[in-house]
Amino acid sequence: MDTVFDSLLLGFSVALRPDVLWFAFVGCVVGTLVGMLPGIGPLAGISILLPLTFGLDATKAIVMLAGIYYGSQYGGSTTSILLRIPGEAASVMTCIDGNAMAKNGRAGAALCIAAVGSFVAGTFGVIVLTLVAPPLAGFALGFGSPEYTALLVLGLIFLAYMSTTSLTRTLLMAALGLLLGTIGIDMMTGHFRYSFGIAELGDGIGIIPVAVGLFGLGELLATPSRQVTSNVTSPRLRELLPTREEWRQSAMPIARGSVLGFLIGIIPGSAHIISSFISYALERRISRQPEQFGKGAVAGVAGPEAANNAASTGAFVPMLALGLPTGPVIAVLMAALLIHGVPPGPTLINDHPNVFWGFVASMYIGNLMLLLLNLPLVGVFVNLLRIPYAYLYPLIIMFCVIGVYEVNHSIVDVWIMLIFGGVGYALKKFGFDPAPLVLGLVIAPIFEMSLRQSLIMSDGTWTIFLERPIALALLLVSAALLTLSAISMLGRDWRGRLKEAARSE
Amino acid sequence: MTLRADHIAGVFFIALGIVVFALSGDLPFGSLSSPGAGMMPKLIAGLMIALALAVLVGGGTSERLAAIDWSDRGHALMVVLITAAGIFAYQRLGFLLTMSLLMFGLLTVVERRNVLRAALYSVALTLFAYWLFGKALKAPLERGLLWF
Repeated sequence: MDTVFDSLLLGFSVALRPDVLWFAFVGCVVGTLVGMLPGIGPLAGISILLPLTFGLDATKAIVMLAGIYYGSQYGGSTTSILLRIPGEAASVMTCIDGNAMAKNGRAGAALCIAAVGSFVAGTFGVIVLTLVAPPLAGFALGFGSPEYTALLVLGLIFLAYMSTTSLTRTLLMAALGLLLGTIGIDMMTGHFRYSFGIAELGDGIGIIPVAVGLFGLGELLATPSRQVTSNVTSPRLRELLPTREEWRQSAMPIARGSVLGFLIGIIPGSAHIISSFISYALERRISRQPEQFGKGAVAGVAGPEAANNAASTGAFVPMLALGLPTGPVIAVLMAALLIHGVPPGPTLINDHPNVFWGFVASMYIGNLMLLLLNLPLVGVFVNLLRIPYAYLYPLIIMFCVIGVYEVNHSIVDVWIMLIFGGVGYALKKFGFDPAPLVLGLVIAPIFEMSLRQSLIMSDGTWTIFLERPIALALLLVSAALLTLSAISMLGRDWRGRLKEAARSE
Repeated sequence: MTLRADHIAGVFFIALGIVVFALSGDLPFGSLSSPGAGMMPKLIAGLMIALALAVLVGGGTSERLAAIDWSDRGHALMVVLITAAGIFAYQRLGFLLTMSLLMFGLLTVVERRNVLRAALYSVALTLFAYWLFGKALKAPLERGLLWF
């Protein structure tokens, strides 16, 4: 414990430097805007702004980008409550009761409860992250290729199990991502694969063009400006304080949402989205007045908001400790660290303690910053929503083009972004979630390398995965999850019921 | 039989898997003790075909193809075409000209906004982006036809 405390002090000495504080602040402000503005989620926001960090050191870069990520969770609640438009997917559940509270004249209180819930959950998440990540990383240092292969298989199965779409559709998207990840030079034999004579494809397809295309451009293509309204009423500062009864009603949902969100966050999948759905369902189930849900129940705002923020923090545990991305946003953050020459994973804490602990400490500060920013400045942020969407999205497209081009100075990357914009649009129409595709793309090189190394180590015997206890345990969990999924597919799926519950509101 | 979204999606992904197999002809599969460059793509393509078959077979309950809302297709197509023109021009005309024209095109052609207002907005925002990326962050932007 003393070591963790000393390391955290080192982290605060890094995070409290004025220059690092400044980038945490910029990340929080940009994240809040990204969360609020329709048509641009945290993934597109981080991808587009990644080139802004190229001139920075790794600590400042990851502090700023992570600030955008958790800042967007805060910002998303504002549009959900005031406009019933979720700025990003995790805020969908907040729309229901948050907007109902706003219609009842309690918009300020809903915003305050959402912000305080997010702060408490985010801080809780960072405390657990501080305690859990170092021992987990120490444990993972003993992993060899078979363990990593099994871990990645488990990650994919978990992703499919937790996905809001069906198991087969999620795995299909992940397979497409894995396939795209094989494009380029084979690192073990030097063969060119599917590069069609295009030199740029020799290095493979980048995560950034694909992510910006699918989640940035694809979203804009499917959102004509006539569908976006901006009739905004900003609450006055004095209306922001909830009543004593509202505080009382929100306390336990925030506590439950924090624990639930963190636990779901460390599991691969769209954790911050799923956690808010499950938290809403849980609060409704245990409420003494379930009929109030949908009509402005405080717990319907407090629980989901706390859960999605805790999940965002929880998602950093596998990334920092194991080098395992749990979702597309984390995958892009991993790519950002790699671009800055810092490989995330078990060796991160020992090899780059300033980056790891500086980042962890900055999350404590970032959460406090967001609380202080979001409440007094809600009126300022809300005014930005008055900018007509028709003027906003051309600007976002310009940033998409610059952002993608500046990563490698490659026009091929920009074309790839445009192609994946079209793919994202089509996937949306056919009801496929593109998140597993990005995840598959990210883990493809690690997965292929560890699988092939395992086979070479064992002289071509698959049983190597069954002979090593950790690999076997991970594969058994994967098999159990697959069986559970198959059983749930036969019966009525809980995700379907959850969706129906949300729809019925 | 009613054609449904998952029928089309299933067929598409099966066809994609077959194309991948066809393109992988010259990539050696190797052996289990010495996997070749073609092993992973072929395994994944096979998995993709199997999953796509499952989507196709179970597609009877998915949304009817005719029920998919394509009312935004005109907007999407115009945005794609104008962005494609912008990408094509980027290294030729440079950052300032291309981005101004890209924004102006989107505002006037897709959004039917006032030409003068759109021009002012496009130039102002492009100059701001130029200052932010090119000057403040010292990112090397394409110069193209202009000298700065």
